[in-house]
Amino acid sequence: MSEKSNRGRLRGRTGETLKSWLIMLPGLLLMTFFVWEPLLESIRMSLYKTRNVELVRFVGLDNFISVMGKDDFTQALMNTFSYTFWSLLIGFALPILLALMIGETRRGKGFFRTAVYLPNMLPGLAVIILWSAFFSGEKSGVLNILIGKLGIPPQSYLTKAHLVIPILIVIATWKGAGATALIYMAGMAGINAELYEAAAIDGATVWQRMLHILLPAIRKLAGTLLILQIISVFQIMYEPMVLTKGGPDNASLSLMQLMWQYAFGGAMNYGKASAVAVTVTLILLVMTGIYSYFNRKESDWD
Amino acid sequence: MAEQTRTGVIRDYDMHAPSVRVGYGIILFLCAVMVVVALFPLVWVILAGFKDLREFVSSTRLLPASFDPKTYLTTWNQLGIAKNYLNSFLSVAGSVVCALLFNGLLGYGLGILKPKGSGAVKKLVMLSLLMPTTISIVPLFMNIQKVGLGNSFVPLWLSYGANAMYVILFVQFFESLPASILEASRIDGCSQLQVFFRIVLPLSKPICSVVAIFAVNAAWSDFLLPYLVLRGGELQTVMVRLFVFSTEQTVNEDAMMRSVVFSMIPPIILFFIFQKQLTENSVSVGIKG
Amino acid sequence: MNRLYPWLSCFLALCLLVCALPSAMAEEVIDADLTCTITLGNWPADTAPEAEKALFESYRAAMARQYPNVTLVPDYYSYTLSNYVPMAKGGTAPSIFQPPFTDPQLLISQHLVGDVTEALEAFGVLDKFSPSYVEMLADENGRIYGLPRDGYVLGMHINIALFREAGLVDGDGLPLYPKTLQEMAEYGKIIKEKTGKAGLVFPASETYGGWLFTNIAWNFGCVGESALEYQDEDGRWVCNFTSPECVAAMEFMRDLKWKYDILNADTTTTDWAGAHSLLGTGEAAMNFAADDSVDQPTANKGLPVADFALIPFPAGDAGRYALAGGTCYMFAPNITRDQGIALMAYLRVIGKLPFLDDAIIEGMRADYAAKRDRGAPVIPAISAWNDEEYNAAKQAIVDEYSNVDMRLYQDFFDSISEGTITLKSEEPVFAQQLYRELTAVIQRMITREGADVMKALQKAQDSFQEYLDDEINDY
Repeated sequence: MSEKSNRGRLRGRTGETLKSWLIMLPGLLLMTFFVWEPLLESIRMSLYKTRNVELVRFVGLDNFISVMGKDDFTQALMNTFSYTFWSLLIGFALPILLALMIGETRRGKGFFRTAVYLPNMLPGLAVIILWSAFFSGEKSGVLNILIGKLGIPPQSYLTKAHLVIPILIVIATWKGAGATALIYMAGMAGINAELYEAAAIDGATVWQRMLHILLPAIRKLAGTLLILQIISVFQIMYEPMVLTKGGPDNASLSLMQLMWQYAFGGAMNYGKASAVAVTVTLILLVMTGIYSYFNRKESDWD
Repeated sequence: MAEQTRTGVIRDYDMHAPSVRVGYGIILFLCAVMVVVALFPLVWVILAGFKDLREFVSSTRLLPASFDPKTYLTTWNQLGIAKNYLNSFLSVAGSVVCALLFNGLLGYGLGILKPKGSGAVKKLVMLSLLMPTTISIVPLFMNIQKVGLGNSFVPLWLSYGANAMYVILFVQFFESLPASILEASRIDGCSQLQVFFRIVLPLSKPICSVVAIFAVNAAWSDFLLPYLVLRGGELQTVMVRLFVFSTEQTVNEDAMMRSVVFSMIPPIILFFIFQKQLTENSVSVGIKG
Repeated sequence: MNRLYPWLSCFLALCLLVCALPSAMAEEVIDADLTCTITLGNWPADTAPEAEKALFESYRAAMARQYPNVTLVPDYYSYTLSNYVPMAKGGTAPSIFQPPFTDPQLLISQHLVGDVTEALEAFGVLDKFSPSYVEMLADENGRIYGLPRDGYVLGMHINIALFREAGLVDGDGLPLYPKTLQEMAEYGKIIKEKTGKAGLVFPASETYGGWLFTNIAWNFGCVGESALEYQDEDGRWVCNFTSPECVAAMEFMRDLKWKYDILNADTTTTDWAGAHSLLGTGEAAMNFAADDSVDQPTANKGLPVADFALIPFPAGDAGRYALAGGTCYMFAPNITRDQGIALMAYLRVIGKLPFLDDAIIEGMRADYAAKRDRGAPVIPAISAWNDEEYNAAKQAIVDEYSNVDMRLYQDFFDSISEGTITLKSEEPVFAQQLYRELTAVIQRMITREGADVMKALQKAQDSFQEYLDDEINDY
């Protein structure tokens, strides 16, 4: 038996190989049409001076140089990292905490799970519009009504440059934290309860058990979810577009939103838009690369 | 069964210690807070939908002065949402079929058949996970126009057949299937496709239901590509309408909030029907991805 | 009001039918040979009032009689530059659509719109445009790519109820409105103090803020040598945001927030519709807006017409300008000659060419009646056609349906007809990008007390200059 795989029977012969590829063909064609070809096309576009979607002439890295030389790029880049920072600060630990707490409840676990998961099902666009009513600075804004009951005068939220990114992250966390928490809960449920029992017999307190058994057990999962979270928050776009329109004074402008502005915001410069898009992709690849480097032994990313 | 429900760090005997009991009380309290935070905005928007424009813009009361169901009815009729609902249902239905069929077959190839050279494709698919899909929306839209599929659901349906995430989910699930079963069926003389439809699919109900629910939710919520493709009035989905409202500014704030509620109703219903699958299966799948 | 709609629309449809029938009988087939299909992006949205939809159905019927072999495909389309381009390239743009006057030159230069010069000649209306519109809608060879739909002039919407509450009315109950920007700031302050509501709503989001600001800047003297953008001797476009005039204008914007404190709370996220909402629901007393959007605060947002006034754009120390613009009709790049003719015929039927016949007059009547019934002010439109007969006939119908005290509008219209205010069209090149840059500066001024005006303007200037260099100067 020269074949190592225990599924040897299903591969090997040329005819089988061909048939296998035929089975995958529809999916591959669709991937090509919807994902890969457009992606290559945008890489190509990023190297050209464009007029609408026509490539006028090859300009090498000019689009990149021009785009990166501008203040709004620097600002958008900083903002995007700021989104990531706030997302990690607010959005990373919270699901773990939620999972810990729900995991410990002895009654109503199903109810808690259901309640925290629900916001994740709601359409993202609807969620942003819904929350815009909460953060309205008028005295009819929901948050202002609520703090008004405590005797605090109405505040303005979306006009404050230092608040807009945390606010957008709070909204994203409201929507997504519950779903992430359930993933952690599943991870925690997989821990053999005997470990706790054994530790307890050895005199470990609840706190110690949590620190030394539970948290290490979900470390790898947390790493994976962390990188997924970074990747997704790096692509934030329509959220600021709808809520703050990137303002005030570009304080919430994200990189992807900058790309959208180049393409559709009146400039119609798809070359530069593609340059921004490709840059985002490269940053993501680098970050993923760093992650897999540090996790190369445990990572399932290879 | 009791064994399964007691998975927490806190064991039964810990509950005798007063400090643990206090801690547990705090946890319960925080859980209650969390439920309120999760549900309050949703409940509020449904109730606030009864406000009229002036109340919505000026009133400092959380709740509307009256709960006249006509406010919702009027908006529903005036904006003709029923048609958009139908469109959304059509769009979602086709998307789910494509998501299961094409991604499933590709996942079968990459996860079970593994023909020569498929490793590279698998890596390519995994890399695609990282690529922001919005990046290539312009060239993609051009492709769609070139093949004459504009203003139709077909490209939207098919686009769900090209989802790297779903493919990976299928691959991971298929790889975990016991090889012996597949082995046996091959010996029985089944073709590759027969194995897929007769053996693999029936074993894959959990993953299929998860992908289906993900696809339903994603297809319902999607608006950027549908907006470009379905630009005309006839086929617009609920979310496309909502996006148009938010950019076009022809709808008043109160009607906008009611449209938000309309756009949330089907996902909420879906959620309550499939909560078990969602909060259990999707989780066990997510843990691997 | 809403309960009335079905009845109203039935009534209107009936009226239309009755009115349209006699003229329809008399109508001849104009061209039975013209055979083509046109898609109509200016068709009302399905959210439009029933009456408006009925009106367009009657247009469709009229076209069917005059040109039996022209197929009309309603295709409601809300134009934005961003959604148009892929459609134009992909060949799915509607045959006719309605961009604002800021975009035609860009679309023409990029070959994204169709040429209708011959079709216009065929209808004999080529010479009746206002020259400024010809300039906006033609290329350098004089080929015409668009038609004016309607023009507007920027002024200011007033919520009289708030003026009254603040004691800013004369003996007749007419508002004592601000004639200058300085007065606007002071009146706004009085209103804010007396009523607690915003004196001025300023939609400083995306491009709106910069758009309104250009008008304020003109009135501070940003014209001629101090223009925000101009072409130098070498033909290069130069942007100038750092002139003393522009700095003064921007300082004024900053003062509106930090010195007078008359602005609404969420200035930086308020958009056009939001501004109308605040004025219409009595949360703000003044709003920079044009004569073509008077139905917004009133019919759409609930302000009674009696509490609404339209006044001229407040003057500055160095100028008395009002931004004039409008919407035009443009056409898909791939239209054929026959489609061009059919489109002009369609525009004639809907009364957008300077022709008058009974059906068109009835159409206007229905339009104004609908406006009046919705609670929107019926006021004269500023015509984009240099055709006296046509304009006079239109005015007569307006008078017939008038539902407002014209004294609340008189100064606005007089300032235009008497020339006490100078009409000025938008900045010539890449106006949307210019607005975007200026909006960012305004947002900075409004959100940071003591922000450095000169520094922010310099930054915006550098950025926009680079944009101009990229897009035109070094193209």
